[in-house]
Amino acid sequence: MEYILHIIITLNIYVTLVLAANLPVGLANLLSICQAAFYGIGAYFSAYILMHWNLPFIVVAGVVMILTGLSSLIVSFASIRLKGDYFVLASLAFQMIVFTILYNWINITRGPYGISGIPGIKLFGKVSMSGIFDYFVLTTIVSSIVILLFDHLKKSPFGRILTAIRSDELEVSSLGRNPAEHKNYAFFISAAFSGLAGLLYASYISYIDPTSFTLDESIFILTALFIGGIGNIKGPVFGALFVVILPEILRFVGLPEMIAANLRQIIYGLVLVIIMYYRPQGIMGELKIGN
Amino acid sequence: MILQLKDITLTFARDKDSFKILNGLNLDVEKGKITALIGGNGAGKTTLFNIISGYQPDYTGNVFLFLQNGKVVDMRNTPPYQSSIGRLFQSKGLMPHLTLLENMKLRSDNTAGEIPFSYLFRIKKLKKIEDNKEAEAKLLLTTFFGQDNKYLEMLDKQGDEFSYGEQRLLSLVALKMATHRLWLLDEPTAGVNPVYVKSIKDIIRKIRDAGVSIFLIEHNMQFVRDTADKVAYLDEGKIQFVGTPEEVINNQKVKNSYLGIE
Repeated sequence: MEYILHIIITLNIYVTLVLAANLPVGLANLLSICQAAFYGIGAYFSAYILMHWNLPFIVVAGVVMILTGLSSLIVSFASIRLKGDYFVLASLAFQMIVFTILYNWINITRGPYGISGIPGIKLFGKVSMSGIFDYFVLTTIVSSIVILLFDHLKKSPFGRILTAIRSDELEVSSLGRNPAEHKNYAFFISAAFSGLAGLLYASYISYIDPTSFTLDESIFILTALFIGGIGNIKGPVFGALFVVILPEILRFVGLPEMIAANLRQIIYGLVLVIIMYYRPQGIMGELKIGN
Repeated sequence: MILQLKDITLTFARDKDSFKILNGLNLDVEKGKITALIGGNGAGKTTLFNIISGYQPDYTGNVFLFLQNGKVVDMRNTPPYQSSIGRLFQSKGLMPHLTLLENMKLRSDNTAGEIPFSYLFRIKKLKKIEDNKEAEAKLLLTTFFGQDNKYLEMLDKQGDEFSYGEQRLLSLVALKMATHRLWLLDEPTAGVNPVYVKSIKDIIRKIRDAGVSIFLIEHNMQFVRDTADKVAYLDEGKIQFVGTPEEVINNQKVKNSYLGIE
């Protein structure tokens, strides 16, 4: 039972991460490869706050989301006007910088040793969440709210503008809308929700270290997004489901862990190639990748 | 007058040489009229539109926009999204991944609800704003295409499901969702079949009659003859001649260098 609950908790965290990535990548056409950096920033801020203050979940979540969102402004102001490959490079640079800081600023982050003993989330200040069932309930509620919020965004006038920016940024600017401003919003929201996923992860696992927030993790999030599909809600949710469930299926096939890990990478790669060729909008997506 | 172009010069650098695509161009665009800009390929017509609407800031000279409230705006430091000018781009149609209705709402100048989560706790108000935009879109389609026209049934169709001609036609009508007093239309009929060309002609005249000033680029001289109140001929970086369509078409210089008639 605990095993199933653990998978669902992981799935809930990835649903949040992949939906957050869908906003800039899927709708605004900003191929951000620094989503794991925001996930990590959120996790480290969370660890610090949870270890130093006794605050209720809603306050911690709010503070972490705002701080992580603010960190996205570093990328936004420097590079939001960059297009295509140039933006990818800028986001890559941010990912590398964040990882380097997390790895080397030992006084604050404890570097490669990581931070252990992160206390559980306190729902209303006193009652601490500890058991796996508590986290199953919390992450399920949070990811459900995240799904509803992103669905609202997608269907709102803001989602309409992001979809238009994806098609023709130049024309959007002639319609009285500032594309850079809307892309900034998208990036901020994406970072904030990735930070929220970081909070859930840090408090659930109670230990974080920089290797969970590498470029590989950013690519993993994008892989989930591209497999599931971009531009809508069910695509990212399906993508998260795919990447979380696949390793478990491979586990039951009975392959040795060494082979299973490599096979998993091969399957992700193969599925991506097949999808790009036969279904460029992903399995359940709405918009074609790269269009 | 709605728009005044004073001594517009734009220099492009080509390797070590520089080339003046526009060289001291002057033109007054009259209010409430259709002014056509004609000229050969590469004469700088679209570049001029880019200067007017803020996409090409590296020019010298002045672009003045005369607003309805009597204010005169120097367009030099005005970014495209603040230009208050409607623009139909060359060879572009509807946004492909938005429905016709969404395309029309997108062109409205009412931006309420566009800041993320701004109406999260006022969903009813947001719905009212969206409903008003939908009513406005339907009214426009009815005004331009008549009662019970087929587009009223196609509001949920994606932009790329319409033919190119229909997309140009609908993009033109959608511009009316905003209250801009000046429209720049870049080759509205290029690549469009004759039936839709006639519709575009009718729509442009109706828009002009509703008080919008139209400045358009066009190569189809029959279209220019039928719609324009005034024609300006651009060549060698300057407006060489301004007059009625008949005057311009009969001008010897235009005949020789643009129409290819001896």
